[in-house]
Amino acid sequence: MACVLFSRPCDDVTLNYLHYYSKELVLECDKIGHKTINKEKEEANKAIIISIINKQKPELIMFNGHGSPEEICGHKQEVIISAKENPETLKNTIVYSLSCSSALILGPKSVENGAISFIGYEFDFALGKDTESEASPKYDKIAKLFLEPSNILFSSLLNKKNVKTSVEKAKKKMKENIDYLHATSSFPEAIYYAPFLFGNYLGLIAHGDNEAFIN
Amino acid sequence: MNEKNEEIEEIKKELVIERLRQAPSTVKIAFGSSNEFMNRDELIEQVQKETELGKKIIKVQLEYLKAFKKGVV
Repeated sequence: MACVLFSRPCDDVTLNYLHYYSKELVLECDKIGHKTINKEKEEANKAIIISIINKQKPELIMFNGHGSPEEICGHKQEVIISAKENPETLKNTIVYSLSCSSALILGPKSVENGAISFIGYEFDFALGKDTESEASPKYDKIAKLFLEPSNILFSSLLNKKNVKTSVEKAKKKMKENIDYLHATSSFPEAIYYAPFLFGNYLGLIAHGDNEAFIN
Repeated sequence: MNEKNEEIEEIKKELVIERLRQAPSTVKIAFGSSNEFMNRDELIEQVQKETELGKKIIKVQLEYLKAFKKGVV
């Protein structure tokens, strides 16, 4: 079984949604029998995450957090991985970065520096929200349409599917959800979320070895 | 940027603003570096002011329209 690391900051409203949705992935990872290292909230900081990567050498990492073309952040937007400072940290890992645009520069840079595969978004990740949910991710039917495909992707990796298959599954779900937003009459604002979800679809990309998977 | 390009950029911006204006006020989106959800008027403001976020909103909306025209979505 593989060693899998989760970095799950939760210090603002949008990160709270990512934190909530990724919880089921942590549980699934553990259930499958992988060695599961879950660093959440204030523990999702640079010192702890880098130390775990260096000592435990996880085969698969999921980063939730804010990001930029060159960076992935953790708790309180502390930069954990930077294309300029430490892209080699991701050597020998498959990475899924659920953060804005980090696949643009950090993605290829980390692969140049030994990462097996870097899956992420070249555009800013968008997340819609249902105003009736009172900012509770559990009841938010809009957020689900944006985050479910991401969970499908990482769940597929956990279940030993390769990068290519996992990305394709996520994109398929995104397309289905965009179609739903076009067609549904259950809430009037649905169609206006579609372009933002399409941005996630367009931006999702994998650098490196598309055939890679964990054991 | 020459005058014609500037005009085209302005038309793109107005197109996106008009599309966003048609959305109900209940639309809420977190996008990019924003750590809060933005409502329709805040999205429009970003586009109007041509902030970095606003430029990204324009890009995403136009990519969607292109894909829609091609039948991709």
